[in-house]
Amino acid sequence: MFKIFQRFWQVNWAEQWQYRANLLMYLLYWLVSPIIYLAVWTSIANTKGNVNGFTANDFITYYMTLLIVDQITSNIVIHTFAYKIQDGTLSGELIRPVHPMLTNALVNNIAFKGLTIMGLTPIWIILFFLFRPDFSNVALSGILLAIPAMIMGFFIGFLLSAAITALAFWTTRVYSIHEFYYALILLFSGQFVPLTLMPKLIQDIAQFLPFQLLIYFPIQLILGKLSSAQILQGYVMGVIWLVVSIAIFDWIWHHGVKRFSAVGA
Amino acid sequence: MPPETISVENLSKTYQVPEREGGFGAAVRSFFKRKYKDVKAVQQVNFKIARGEIVGFLGPNGAGKTTTLKMLSGLLHPTAGKAHVLGFTPWELKTDYLRAMTLVMGQRNRLAWDIPAADSFLLNQAIYRLPDEEYKQTYKELDELLELEPLMKKPVRNLSLGERMKCEIAAGLLHRPKVLFLDEPTIGLDITGQARIREFLREYNKRTGATILLTSHYMADVTALCERIIIIHQGQLKYDGGIGDLSRKIAPFKLIGVRLAEVNSHDLTKYGTPVQNEEDAEKHYIQVKAEDVTRITSGLLADLPIHDITITDPPIEDVIEQAFNQ
Repeated sequence: MFKIFQRFWQVNWAEQWQYRANLLMYLLYWLVSPIIYLAVWTSIANTKGNVNGFTANDFITYYMTLLIVDQITSNIVIHTFAYKIQDGTLSGELIRPVHPMLTNALVNNIAFKGLTIMGLTPIWIILFFLFRPDFSNVALSGILLAIPAMIMGFFIGFLLSAAITALAFWTTRVYSIHEFYYALILLFSGQFVPLTLMPKLIQDIAQFLPFQLLIYFPIQLILGKLSSAQILQGYVMGVIWLVVSIAIFDWIWHHGVKRFSAVGA
Repeated sequence: MPPETISVENLSKTYQVPEREGGFGAAVRSFFKRKYKDVKAVQQVNFKIARGEIVGFLGPNGAGKTTTLKMLSGLLHPTAGKAHVLGFTPWELKTDYLRAMTLVMGQRNRLAWDIPAADSFLLNQAIYRLPDEEYKQTYKELDELLELEPLMKKPVRNLSLGERMKCEIAAGLLHRPKVLFLDEPTIGLDITGQARIREFLREYNKRTGATILLTSHYMADVTALCERIIIIHQGQLKYDGGIGDLSRKIAPFKLIGVRLAEVNSHDLTKYGTPVQNEEDAEKHYIQVKAEDVTRITSGLLADLPIHDITITDPPIEDVIEQAFNQ
């Protein structure tokens, strides 16, 4: 099994490497909004002293951490897979004795991340010197706790996106469904703004949704802002959502494949 | 395991195709209520294929050949009916089944487009869990037959169609499948390329005893490889038997193509049935009975100012269509 992943890695890494210029453009595009949020909130906090207890440094450290966490937990599976279902190119992969989504697509996403993180590193360092965040609250224990949380978050996000992608077996409008899903992520994950600054109702709902596990929970772990009870709750929610997303993906995939019509291939 | 490698019972596939008229009104209506049309791609097809057979699967475009191959390889779920290949129900997509068969479809790739074929081959080695020794041995044999080595290091997108086809076929055979479904394995290849693939398939069949079911538009592929052919037309099985018997049934016809000095000035109908042929607009084609070829040809040469004359077998698609539309 290890060898399979290793060979998939070689192929996907080589493929992604071919498109490194493309990937850099994607990275720059993706960087724009967190950097805008960072700049806007920081200047607001600077003029008012703080926003609901959030100082300028709180915002800077939040978004600087978000840049890394989001890069680790996000995925691009809808863009690299849905078209294969729609135009029938999935045929070749479907009759290989390995799961197309849980091997090739998974490794492809990780290879993509490997490259974008390489691209992000120098940018992050430049931003670091521009905004001079004070990370003195970050402890090693927080980072160690965040690593399994990010891995868990990545798998939850990947499986949910993969489940939506697999809806392409039924509908050609799967991209708009994913847009809607992405809007939920923006709203409930803490990507726009730290969740504590959101209305109480949204915070309450967000607690039980998977989206904050992708962004907000790991960031707060790294920044050392959670109590033991909150950490435990986050991990319990994570395990529950991991199981739920496995079940959702498995069900949709299993039923979707039966509908596959291998058009034009 | 049943004695035959492939058995198909009442296999049927009906596609539901959304349908609407052109125009804005129809687009709005179809948004609320979509109409579907049933397309019966395969209807109640039955056949059995024994181990080691090479069977040609023929029919005009849209006859249901590819749909049947897709069902037998497990890509499609049938609407009704049963199929067993090597004792498996294909569309259950059992790992052991997927390891034992291959589907090579014309242009569609097992090979990653942007990287050299060698990398895709190594990936397949891992996917099919082939031990190094076995892999090297198989690769050596494939290389002997198909001369792959010079192609291995170039990115697949830089290969010519023929080169890519060779790599595709090789990639599909690395795991030494017991059953091969080949959809147009020689499409787009030049004559030498076609001959080489044919020779290779015959050799592979002889060496491994693999069962092969192939579709092709080239009569030469079929006559060279298959002793038995299955014909389907409009989703229904029309013929299943020896190729010799079919030849006898349809051999009576040959195509005579003539290029005349004065275009369209002569009536060819008295020599034979005129046939449309888009490939060469300057030529006029007539279809005649095989036993009359000599007589009619000499008649044509004597009577008409002929620049060029050819005598060919009618294209297989036409033959099949003719044989069953009559």
